[in-house]
Amino acid sequence: MIAIIENGAGPVAEPAPMEKLKRTVSASRLNCWLQCRLKFYFRYVLKLTKPKTAALHFGSVVHLVLQQWNLTRWRRQPFEIAKLKQVFDTGWLDQGGAIDWDGEEPEQKISAWNVLEKYFTDTPIKADEMPEAVEVPVEADLSRHGLPVLIGVLDLVRAGGRIVDFKTAAKTPDADMALHQNGVQLDCYSVLYREATGKRESGRELHHLVKTKVPKVVITPAEPMLEYQRNRLFRLMEDYVNGLERGDFIPAPGFGCMGCEFMSECRKFDGGRHE
Amino acid sequence: MITLEANYSKKIGLPGYSSHQFSVTLKSELADIAQAPAESARLYAVLQSSVDHNIQQVGYLPNANGNGNGNGHGNGHTPPVEADAWKCSDKQRDLIRKITDEHKLDKAKVDQLAQDRFGKGVKSLNKLEASGLIEELLEQTGQSKPRNQRFSPPKVGGR
Repeated sequence: MIAIIENGAGPVAEPAPMEKLKRTVSASRLNCWLQCRLKFYFRYVLKLTKPKTAALHFGSVVHLVLQQWNLTRWRRQPFEIAKLKQVFDTGWLDQGGAIDWDGEEPEQKISAWNVLEKYFTDTPIKADEMPEAVEVPVEADLSRHGLPVLIGVLDLVRAGGRIVDFKTAAKTPDADMALHQNGVQLDCYSVLYREATGKRESGRELHHLVKTKVPKVVITPAEPMLEYQRNRLFRLMEDYVNGLERGDFIPAPGFGCMGCEFMSECRKFDGGRHE
Repeated sequence: MITLEANYSKKIGLPGYSSHQFSVTLKSELADIAQAPAESARLYAVLQSSVDHNIQQVGYLPNANGNGNGNGHGNGHTPPVEADAWKCSDKQRDLIRKITDEHKLDKAKVDQLAQDRFGKGVKSLNKLEASGLIEELLEQTGQSKPRNQRFSPPKVGGR
């Protein structure tokens, strides 16, 4: 049995039924599971909520503007930077909430818009390239493999079936490391795309918008998912389901702890099993 | 007395996004722990044989529309698809119909929207394209949701 932590960490909703978590799985849940199972427990089982971080807000607003930009092409509307700026300004206010900016909000806002402008200049996507899909929720029923339903939202599928995921980053990413670290997500998207279309994707791309002082755009291409990558993903999903059944909510102390929002809960965690 | 409990479970996929599963559990009492490996192997063989034999009976299957009585004997057999059947999932089809009906949208205009975006009619859209159309219809009818709530009710099931 898992101990409930009572430390006033924020509004605590009713713990999600484990059956619900076992029925569906997503790339973000799998990544959290891999990163730290105790973090998964706090976030998805106990549903502890924390204030939105500045970095998350930055990324959300950038995604919002990119979504509008992609939809504009999908709807065959002209590119108007003023309209996108309006979406950006509104999104920045709407999604702001109670963020601890530490006095850096004006700088962060300028940085976010600058990196978007850089992207619109440097993007490999031509103005008349019609997307195959923009921000679409899709799911893949993997019950024939004895696995849950995989769910996810595809940022963009370019013409010809190239899956794109947008990322914001503080540092210039290394290509190999970026593909390694985002492998689970890209493979999930490949499975979703193939299930939804009956076709193999023609490739995958990570589009990093790097918020350095001089903003950068880094495009990292990847081949279509190979069979061993799919097998590895399915093995991870098996581990996810089996681990949930066993209640494997153990902490994984390491470098990831530095940015973890559940640090205080983790330090009080007693192991969770009470005979 | 030592009790050995063994369970064997199997789940297989079926046509029309169905699946079924069957599991059998047996308990056996052992006088000596040394008997465990042999008894475990015996139970495994018995359980697997039993599950494999029974799981071949597929039973009821929904037809292509998701609500009829399909062929319950064709293990792995795909039911015949109606000539004008939708290519997207049943949930997507129901959601497109629901939005169209509830907001009294002109079906010809919805079909034209599909033609404009994908070069094909609504019924011919695959699941990815249908998802895009649904997002567009939801936005047009003021029901668009933030990214992290896309799989939540009250939409007709997760997509």
